[in-house]
Parts: sequence; structure tokens; C-alpha cells
Amino acid sequence: MPDMKATVREWLDTGKVDLFLGYKQVEGHPLPYAFDRDNLEELQDLMESPARYPLEKLGAGILAVQPNLKIGILGRDCNRRALNVLAVHQQITPGQIEVLELKCCPSPLHKHADCSSLEPRTYGPVKLEVGIDNSMPTARMEQFDQRTRFDKWLYEFQKCLKCYGCRDICPVCFCKECSLEHADLVETGGVPPEVPLFHLIRAVHMAGRCIDCGLCEDACPVDIPLRLLYRKVNEIVKDLFGYETGLSLEQPPLSILGECAPGVTGSHGAAV
Amino acid sequence: MYKLVPSVCSYCGTGCGVLFEVLDGRILGTLPLKTHPVNEGKLCIKGWNLHEYVNSFMRLQAPRVRINGRLHQVTWDRAIQFAADRLKKVIAEHGPDSVGVLASAKITNEENYLLQKFARAAVGTNNVDHCARL
Ligand code: SF4
Ligand code: SF4
Ligand code: SF4
Repeated sequence: MPDMKATVREWLDTGKVDLFLGYKQVEGHPLPYAFDRDNLEELQDLMESPARYPLEKLGAGILAVQPNLKIGILGRDCNRRALNVLAVHQQITPGQIEVLELKCCPSPLHKHADCSSLEPRTYGPVKLEVGIDNSMPTARMEQFDQRTRFDKWLYEFQKCLKCYGCRDICPVCFCKECSLEHADLVETGGVPPEVPLFHLIRAVHMAGRCIDCGLCEDACPVDIPLRLLYRKVNEIVKDLFGYETGLSLEQPPLSILGECAPGVTGSHGAAV
Repeated sequence: MYKLVPSVCSYCGTGCGVLFEVLDGRILGTLPLKTHPVNEGKLCIKGWNLHEYVNSFMRLQAPRVRINGRLHQVTWDRAIQFAADRLKKVIAEHGPDSVGVLASAKITNEENYLLQKFARAAVGTNNVDHCARL
């Protein structure tokens, strides 16, 4: 990217944004870093990061406390899609978060690719035999008969530690009362959380919502192929309704959220 | 006003790397430190919720001692003096083996060394154990 630093300086100087979330090397780690008009000299350290964080989620979190700020983020196409989804669900106003766009990672929604953290990984023999290779395309998964597929998913789901990392890192999960913690929906007090209900609830919530960034799968300590699951769900949404998540500000065909999602009226999370 | 502060999870001895989201001096949330060699961007449910105990209204932020059945907030000097006096009294009345010391996975190796030294040399007991065995 030729002049990322100059562009951010200009955005800050002209007041296009008050705060810019990029990355900087801190204590040996590439960390999300907030640049503003008070630390312009630090802009020389602005960098791209090999480790992706949900900057749009951090930005939306800041806006929830300080709604009048204008925020810029270093992002890719997935961040832009997430911002569209956040706007569709009234978590931010369109345009409240500007994206300075970098090159992109692979996704059915966006072919061009250079995101290192999404390189296919190699897995051990048991996972490959009994479970699922996370980098498998949905079409490959469908070649297994239904029984095998079900067994494979159960094998994956029963590894779940109920860390809620998939939800907590997800740029488009924001419900104040998440269905995954709702005692009437998922039995509480056990690990793994109710199989396969816990994961199916989240999968349904990701219909017309998941923008395929892969952060959930990155955060999962037990390598459950979450991205594959939500990809499948969104293929169905696309086939049935012609809706492509995150590509526009159009309302999704179904919006299933947790109860009391802020700013969302008439949600029907409990109906899942 | 907004920054992400790298730290280490204080819950167990694994020592996962975390990132605190801090806005105007208040911790808004916790993220896994993605490039940390220990946890490689993953956390358990406790790590993900570190900010909740930091911000909890139930969190003790100063030492307290119980005097006549009621807790009183005191200075560290007073609290340490109080603990020392009581320990001395217990040891004098019931002997050093009436005292046990529980060390911690959350403090450093050196601090754990000091703690067992305190138990053996200062108190005079081998009753030393560790929270990782609980
Ligand atoms: S890929 Fe995972 S983290 Fe990203 S939007 Fe979808 S569910 Fe959320
Ligand atoms: S990140 Fe993985 S282990 Fe944690 S709750 Fe989600 S699926 Fe379960
Ligand atoms: S209720 Fe569903 S959409 Fe809302 S935070 Fe929980 S998993 Fe995400």
C-alpha cells in the first residue's frame, strides 16, 4: 500500500476521522493501535499486521461509549462487510467508521487473496478420519452421506469448551443477552454445551449475518470448523433468498438475534 | 484515550497472553493476544472475561481486617502487622505446624520460592502446598 501513513495523517488533519485504529508493534507484538491528533508522530509506526483483530468491533465498542467520534480503521473487504452488517442491525450509523482498505483474504465473497492467517492448516490423523478438515469446501463435505456428516459434526461439536470465544471475537455478534447463554434454549452448567444445539443456534444466528472473516475459527481452542458451518448456512441463504451477506445495506431475509439486542426491535431470538 | 494493553491472564498458571481494551482508563473488554506463543490467539472462558472482575463492584481494592466481627479497611502496613501478630500468636499457642501456606500458580517462581522459605524458615513448618493441586 503506497501511502497508508500519509492518508491516515490527512484523515486526521482534515477531521475526516478523530481516531484511527491500525496496528503498531508494541512489546514485540503487532497490536491494534489507536492513532489520533495527539500522537501524529507515532504514525510512522503504523503497519499492517499478520495477526487480524476485529477492528470494526473495537470501533463499534468505542462508539457505544462515545457516539460522536468519527473512527477510521485499517481494514480489508471482510471488515467492510462486517460494517455493513453492523449498520443493518443499527449498531453503527453507515459512514461512522471509515475503512482504509488493504488487500484481501480468500472468501467465496471475495476471491483475491493474501491473508496469511487463513492458509490451510494440517491436522492430525484422528481429526482427518473422524472429524472434519477445516479447509474442506462445503461441496466436499456434502459428498459424505448424511449419517457420516452428522457423526463428523458431532465429533467436532463435542470438543467445545464453551469458551464463547467464537462469539466474543465475532465482529457481528453484539447481542446484550446472547441466546447461547439463555437457560431456556441451551442447558446450562455443563461442558461441552448441549450438542449439537449450542452450535446450531449460533449457526442459525449467522444466517444472513456472518461475513466469513474466519476470526471465530482462529479463536477456537479446539479447531471446530466453524467457518465451514456458517459458510454452508450462508450458501443456503444465498440460494433461497439471493441474499449476499455484508455486500449491501439491504435487510437480511431473516434476522435472528439474541433477546434485547440493542437497537433492534421485534427480535425473535427465543423462537430459535 | 483508547489503547490496547498487552498483559498475561491472572487466572491460572498457563499464562495466556491477553489484550485489554482500555478507553479513558476503564477496561472495556479482553481479547486474546494473537501472537502470544502460549495461547496463539485462543483463551478459555475465564480469560475472555478478565475485565469483569477488574470492573466488579465486589472486587476488594484495599486490605481489610476483621475486628470484632466487622471488616475494616486499613493500610497495608496495618494489615501486614495484624497478620504477623495473629500468626505469631497461633504459632506460640499451637505450634508452627498449625500453620499452612498455600502458594500460587499465578505468582512468579521467585515469589513461590520466597513463600516456601517463609513457611520453613520463618514459621517453621513444612505445610506448603500449591493451588494447582486444589
Ligand atoms: S466467520 Fe466467524 S467471526 Fe467472522 S463473521 Fe462469521 S461467525 Fe463471525
Ligand atoms: S470458540 Fe470453539 S470451543 Fe469456544 S465456544 Fe466457540 S466452538 Fe466452543
Ligand atoms: S444471540 Fe446469536 S447473534 Fe447474538 S451474540 Fe449470541 S450467538 Fe451472536
